[in-house]
Amino acid sequence: MGKFEEEASRSLLDKNLITENQYQEITTYRNLNIFSLNAELKLFLYLSVLLFTSGIGIIIYENIDTIGHIAILSILLIVIGVCFYFCFKNSKGFQKSQAVFDNPVLDYLVLAANILTCIFIGYLQFQYETFGTHYGLATLVPTLVSFFCAYYFDNKSVLTIAVTGLAAYVGFSVTPQDVFNHNSALYASQSLSYSAIMLGVLLILWTIYSFKINLKTHFALVYLTFALHIISVASISNMYDYELIWLFFAAILAVSSVYFYKISHQLKSISLYVFMIIYAYAGLNIFIFRIFEKIDFSNLWEIFIVLLPVYFVGSIVLFIKLIKNFNKEIA
Amino acid sequence: MILHDKNLLDNLALTSEAESLQNAGFINKEQRNLIRKELPSFKIQNNILVRIGFFLLGAFLYLSICGVIALIGLTSSSSERIFFEMCCYLFAAVGIAGAEFLVIQKYYRHGLDDAFILGILLNVGIAVGISTEHHETPLIPAVFVAIASFLTYRRYLHLVSMLVFCLASSAVLFFGLIEIGDIGKTILPFAAMLIAGGFYFLTKRSLKNLTEVYYFNGLLLINSYCLILFYLSCNYLIVRELSSELLGFDILPGQDIPFAFFFHAFTIIIPIVYLVQALKTKDRIMLWVSFASIAFSIYTIRFYHSILPIEAALTLGGLVLFAITYFSIKKLKNNETGLTFKPDRINNSNSLLNAEALIVASTFGLKPEVKPADSPMDFGGGGFSGGGSNGSF
Repeated sequence: MGKFEEEASRSLLDKNLITENQYQEITTYRNLNIFSLNAELKLFLYLSVLLFTSGIGIIIYENIDTIGHIAILSILLIVIGVCFYFCFKNSKGFQKSQAVFDNPVLDYLVLAANILTCIFIGYLQFQYETFGTHYGLATLVPTLVSFFCAYYFDNKSVLTIAVTGLAAYVGFSVTPQDVFNHNSALYASQSLSYSAIMLGVLLILWTIYSFKINLKTHFALVYLTFALHIISVASISNMYDYELIWLFFAAILAVSSVYFYKISHQLKSISLYVFMIIYAYAGLNIFIFRIFEKIDFSNLWEIFIVLLPVYFVGSIVLFIKLIKNFNKEIA
Repeated sequence: MILHDKNLLDNLALTSEAESLQNAGFINKEQRNLIRKELPSFKIQNNILVRIGFFLLGAFLYLSICGVIALIGLTSSSSERIFFEMCCYLFAAVGIAGAEFLVIQKYYRHGLDDAFILGILLNVGIAVGISTEHHETPLIPAVFVAIASFLTYRRYLHLVSMLVFCLASSAVLFFGLIEIGDIGKTILPFAAMLIAGGFYFLTKRSLKNLTEVYYFNGLLLINSYCLILFYLSCNYLIVRELSSELLGFDILPGQDIPFAFFFHAFTIIIPIVYLVQALKTKDRIMLWVSFASIAFSIYTIRFYHSILPIEAALTLGGLVLFAITYFSIKKLKNNETGLTFKPDRINNSNSLLNAEALIVASTFGLKPEVKPADSPMDFGGGGFSGGGSNGSF
């Protein structure tokens, strides 16, 4: 590609769109011939953490009765200790704003230590019932540890574990597979939907508070992404309900869509915006469908099919406008 | 042949250059916006999420138009059978009309145009498939899809069409050799390897001599596809499974496929060659292909000779990978030119790292220990999905 990029900068210069100085700078940089393995090597670190912790998890799971418990626990504890030792030694301490390690390896050590801690506590509970029958506690403790790590070491991956832990404490799973899996517990009962929506609202409130006290504001996107998906999926799945309660969930979806419309503009986050539109559109279609259900159209279904393309053309025009507006406003 | 306005295509190259220069910090935002304003451009969606969204909408629109046609056709035509044979050709025509319309309206890489162009290819495949139902292998549909996708690529410069073209041409080769008979089936891996290798060097040369920027990505795609095909064509796992599938080989314990030694060596050597060559020529695509092929080679070896149980392999693999990466980082950290660990200002592949948090959430997310449906006393096997304890790695 090299030669075409150089050509492109050259013709930008010819059209007087960049200055001679800038052009010089660019060509000097290009001539360094840099081939960066930054992303690749980081990905490998990450992969190694995933492989290692998965391996440990399986070993413990399969040998739960054979190797001495104390042996497993002490090995785990040592590994966790070593990981945390390096992390604490190299960390600059807690900071309210975004902080990065000098050495990117440490980010992945934090992740490894945190996952191993979760495994450790899970094992303790399974084998010794440390928390007795307070099953909630066995989820809450790893969650709290994860939140601490996430905030102390400024690690987004750990933060996602913490949020899933929080949801697990409330009683449902928000791992991406489960949110989009229609048989998961999230859709099983209505009371769970209420708690899901409550959790989503709490996450939103927490981001608002964080913005107020300026605490790790770059985490907001993670929280809001979770909140958007949890609230929207919970309310959409309840819009199929036969009771009149579906209107209530439709209202919730409408309110949350308005909120996320605003917040995505504020954060300039196109992913929040697009998902908000998709959920709102899905909700709108279900709403229209539910309304039409009440009226008997059985003789007119052919007209529907003919009108459908018009409806989609209308939606496309609307979407193009929405995206254009968004791009204009964040530019 | 290209329907797009060539000026706009040239401008596209310039604006994307401006984009990457701005990301690299060589020019500021105002300057980039000025460049964007100065150069008229396509209706284009650079964000992949938005593009997928529009693709879905376009697909809905396409489907609904086809629905209308089906409705009219079924109610007015005398024979349903004839209509079913004809309808996919009609749908393909709808796709062509839609694609032409969108391209004339200056839609490019927008999502909507993708939906219609891919619709053409899909419908051509199905239509020819229905017309040649009695045929033994899907050779003829593959030929037609290959031709159609090549034409859509040339006319609309649609990159996904190029991918379809590559896949369809491989299918033509595959089914063609199968139709020849046993000889064809036997030489299949070698034929695929030679053709992939040949086209690799051919496209490489034409990439070097290319003067029109807008053909670059398409050629690069063929080039990379050939790399992958070359590796897969003689991979031991694929050759062995295919030969037992096609030739009906029953491989008894202690026996092996013919030329097993060659395939084994190929499986191990090629990824290493790729890796070394990629680092030498600073070819990022080849680098990624080499990573993928190394992973697949390890899988191949483990598939037949599992030396270690999976959990030990994972743990040790993790440790080894960590060690290798750690030392490479240490070594590359302070390089100022050439191979380095420092992020490149211009071409950074950071988008990949952004997906990290998502992967963590899906593999290590905590799940509720007590499912609400179960009785509270029932403690189900450790609620932590810790380390994907289901072994679905």
